[in-house]
Amino acid sequence: MSYGSTIKVPFGPQHPALKEPEYFLFEVDGDIVVKVTPRIGYVHRGVEKAFEQETYLHNLYLAERICGICSHAHTTCYTQTVEGLIPLEVPPRAVYIRLIMAELERLHSHSLWVGIAAHEAGFDTLFMYLWRDREMIMDLMEEISGNRVTHAINTIGGVRRDITNEQANKIKKFMDRFEGNVKEYMKVLETEQTFLKRTKGVGILKPRDAISLCAVGPTLRASGIKSDVRADDPYLAYGEIPFNVITHDGCDVYARTIVRCEEMIESANIIRYALDHLPEGKIRVPPPRTIAPNESVGRVEAPRGELIHYARSNGTAKPERYKVRSPTLGNLASVCQTLIGAHVADIPMILAGIDPCFSCMDRMTITVKKA
Amino acid sequence: MSLFREAARQIFRKPATVKYPFEPGIVPPGLRGRPVWDMEKCILCVLCQNACPTAAIKMIPKGPDAGIEYHLDRCIFCGECADACPRKAITMTTNFELADTSRSNMVQHYKKPQQAQTQAAKT
Amino acid sequence: MVLYEIVGVFIYPGMAFLFGLAFLYEWIDRKFFARVQNRIGPLYTGRSGILQPVADFIKLLSKEDIVPASCERPVFSAIPIVYATLPLIALFVIPITGSALIAFEGDVIFLMFVSALITLTVFLAGWSSAGSFSRIGGIRSALQMLSYEIPFGLALIGPAISAHSLSLTKIAQWQAANSSWFLWLQPIGFAAVLISLLAELELVPFDIPEAETEIVAGWLTEYGGRRLALFRLGKDLELVVASTLVASLYLGGAQPLFFIPPVVILILKSIIVLLLISFVRAIFARFRIDQMTSGMWTYLLPLMIVQILLVQFGIGG
Repeated sequence: MSYGSTIKVPFGPQHPALKEPEYFLFEVDGDIVVKVTPRIGYVHRGVEKAFEQETYLHNLYLAERICGICSHAHTTCYTQTVEGLIPLEVPPRAVYIRLIMAELERLHSHSLWVGIAAHEAGFDTLFMYLWRDREMIMDLMEEISGNRVTHAINTIGGVRRDITNEQANKIKKFMDRFEGNVKEYMKVLETEQTFLKRTKGVGILKPRDAISLCAVGPTLRASGIKSDVRADDPYLAYGEIPFNVITHDGCDVYARTIVRCEEMIESANIIRYALDHLPEGKIRVPPPRTIAPNESVGRVEAPRGELIHYARSNGTAKPERYKVRSPTLGNLASVCQTLIGAHVADIPMILAGIDPCFSCMDRMTITVKKA
Repeated sequence: MSLFREAARQIFRKPATVKYPFEPGIVPPGLRGRPVWDMEKCILCVLCQNACPTAAIKMIPKGPDAGIEYHLDRCIFCGECADACPRKAITMTTNFELADTSRSNMVQHYKKPQQAQTQAAKT
Repeated sequence: MVLYEIVGVFIYPGMAFLFGLAFLYEWIDRKFFARVQNRIGPLYTGRSGILQPVADFIKLLSKEDIVPASCERPVFSAIPIVYATLPLIALFVIPITGSALIAFEGDVIFLMFVSALITLTVFLAGWSSAGSFSRIGGIRSALQMLSYEIPFGLALIGPAISAHSLSLTKIAQWQAANSSWFLWLQPIGFAAVLISLLAELELVPFDIPEAETEIVAGWLTEYGGRRLALFRLGKDLELVVASTLVASLYLGGAQPLFFIPPVVILILKSIIVLLLISFVRAIFARFRIDQMTSGMWTYLLPLMIVQILLVQFGIGG
């Protein structure tokens, strides 16, 4: 029992724990959170309406800018959806190049996340080390595609740039180094007592709750559930490449950290396999300008979870309706559940645990008129 | 204490910071910087203007100002114009230091040389 | 005689000298912390960034002062001045030049009293700025003091028992006379005093009252401009207090070595303590407040009691 009413602590829209603006109102009794009221919609940009105003090729660049960290996942899903509308078959070499970029992006996104998780726990040194290694991945992506983020290597019908042999050797050499570094950081994370105290037992999400609250991605896999779009519904060339779906039974923030670190090692293996088995051939086929009336759905495993795009065409060069559902929207309900009962100091750890990407997420605003 | 050895080793290593702009930045060869038009090769077809997703290119077909008007502040450096040009007149350079203090400097005109223009009008 | 004392209080080894030391120690801390993280730290202001803390101070003095409308104005305005002055008073009793400006029996108790006052000031700063983040930060700071205060006091008392004196100057001179430092005579006390000082200075792993990612800036949130400049000066002065205190109490204090004057030796020793504090700051994550209180009471306090018992039985001087 407390002395009186609870304290209301507002988190956001501007807060150092959140890298992107959303508003959470916490009611705190002493040091324990008793109620969470989220309010989303701060980064709503009218993207879905803007999709209807431009042609399919121009919309590719809009889709790329829905999110900065998972921009390649958005363009992969977009091209997959539109190629499903036409329908159009992409040459195998382009498929492999898309896969290699997607896994490189998963590497950079996960190393960004582990750095952020360390920073939220106060572990600034590991944050600096991880982001220094991440810079090398960004330089690699810049050499392959021309830009550090918003790579613009995808196009409807294939990819725009090829990977030369010396680039492939460079990537393979870098993967060995990066994998060694990640294993060292994993050892630090598993044995550093101060970090373990902040992450073990924090933000428990039971498997039943994870499924009923629609969690996706590493958040779901850290509760022991084997669910990965790359394995369940293989797109690109994931059906031909052997890889493991990483799960962990901890259900807490520590399990999510370990799942993401091991996914990084798994991605390095996938990239090496794909580079060794890169098929020859051309890299793009020309798409038609107008698309007959059709509907199509594309699903992709973005670094944060399952990303769904839906498109509907009506015979013109512009889409009639386009819908994007990003993984953070799926994880939002589960995070509101895990926040109840946590200490105030655990709030940033739990919020960071789902790898929130609110700019991906905001498709609608909710306006509440106060009477 | 797990980070002890790694942290102790880092004290004696060179810092990872690049002292840009006092040292040159790292520029890989494939970097997509700003596009440049070669007006000798340009035939004033309208394909680059149609390909641009942000309407940063305007082609002026006739008259004394004939040529390409390029808005640097609208460009997203995607390279679609370079892909679409049938004569390969557009090259994506690696120039990325493009900031300026005046809005009017952001619009650049590439004028088509006069005799080549009348040649193109005749054919 | 009066002129000598005025120079002593205001210039050397008084306020001007101590402010210079405070800025120097902040620079050393920032540079070393950056090197551990593979970065450069301050670089361009002055040679290798040595004037950066001064530049930050001057910049903050020139910024607009925004005061929240519902704060308690008199307390809110007075606290920064008190916070910047208290470490200065603490520094007057530490023998920086071999003999302190003010030395009397009971120095050590006076120092503990001043450090408790500093934490009370922090609590009032958090309470008087009427925001939820500041209030949480102030409460956490008071909770933190409850945990580290007793081990800190015991760690100061250990050398006092061995030296049979409660005056810092006499403890430092005892170490010089017996040419053995309490660093190896009472190592548990040394570890405990470092941990308690990390908690008092609010540095990682105990920077809970000011956890940047959880409660924005904790008790410092609503302060800006001149008041923030005074708070930062107070923090740097506390850094000087902590390092010179440990250097005097456990590392032998200001002893002359060949021809080098004792003040230089003390500054060198305190810089070594400062580097140690910075290094520990870099390799740990932040604790939660309940983990910190339970950890302190479960582990640190019994260890310090063991240390005092050892001293009583004659082991450790």
